[in-house]
Amino acid sequence: MSAPAPALFPAQYHPVKIRLSDPAAAAAWVSLVFGMVLVFLPVSFPHMIVENWQNGRLIPAMIFLTALLNGVIYLRAAHLRSAKPGLLTSAWLGALTVGTVVGFSVLLDAAILHEQSKLIPNSQALVNEEILAHTYWGLISGIFLPYLVIRFTQTLNFQTKVD
Amino acid sequence: MEAALDNPLLTADWASAKWLWWIGLYLILGMFVPWTMTRTWAHQHRSKVRPTLGQLFQRGELGLAGLVLAISAMWDLQNSQYAPQTLAVGSVILALSGIMAGAVWIEGYCRHSTGAEIHPKRVWRDSRNLAFLILSIAGVAEILLDRFTKVMRL
Repeated sequence: MSAPAPALFPAQYHPVKIRLSDPAAAAAWVSLVFGMVLVFLPVSFPHMIVENWQNGRLIPAMIFLTALLNGVIYLRAAHLRSAKPGLLTSAWLGALTVGTVVGFSVLLDAAILHEQSKLIPNSQALVNEEILAHTYWGLISGIFLPYLVIRFTQTLNFQTKVD
Repeated sequence: MEAALDNPLLTADWASAKWLWWIGLYLILGMFVPWTMTRTWAHQHRSKVRPTLGQLFQRGELGLAGLVLAISAMWDLQNSQYAPQTLAVGSVILALSGIMAGAVWIEGYCRHSTGAEIHPKRVWRDSRNLAFLILSIAGVAEILLDRFTKVMRL
């Protein structure tokens, strides 16, 4: 029996299999850069973050940065595994990224209220440190958490198909 | 608000570099010492075994080391005066990263035990990247904690 003609069997669609090591490496480098900048610019870097938060530009900038990084990570993973990026996964990744960063901004507001309620002389300095910390955790989570959710979703989908 | 940041206590000094020493201890005792011990063993037994770091930790042992480091950083974070929201956020991220790093080791062990297909290079890469993430997060968390402690003393 002869082999089937390739034209009759079009190339099968391979979704991008996400491995957590991809976003982990990217998040680690972002974290390292954040730490280095914080060590070498201990006043001006936090100053810039606080100023942007006051102007309302911090959260949109974080969304832009994390969404851009996640897009690059996703496309790189697709390229490395010779897979086709899916529209649904891309949309899901984008929504999760935005949701994570916005969720962190809500938590930041709660943390600021908590620090202001302490009624101590240097509460403003504590608020600044909270903004700095939440910016950091928001950036790392914005990169890592969406991929963690997608990874679990993919694992569950695979198990459902096997069952 | 801006004046609160212009404090000389927040500028970098050598005392702030203690987190670097703390991270260095994990690298030295967790990676370099085991690697040196394999060399010593090979020398004593006149063996030609010369494993690289990738070969030594090819079953994802670095993931387990990452989990231990995450627990340590979480403990430091829990003992700080940050707002409960910040503590929760930091702890959850560290815990998730630690669990995922540990899972690489667990998966490698299970695959090895059951004879399932295993890719040592992939296991090494996954555990290395996740351990690197935890190391990096722990380092920045210590820097942030150091800053926050200084601000609390103002």
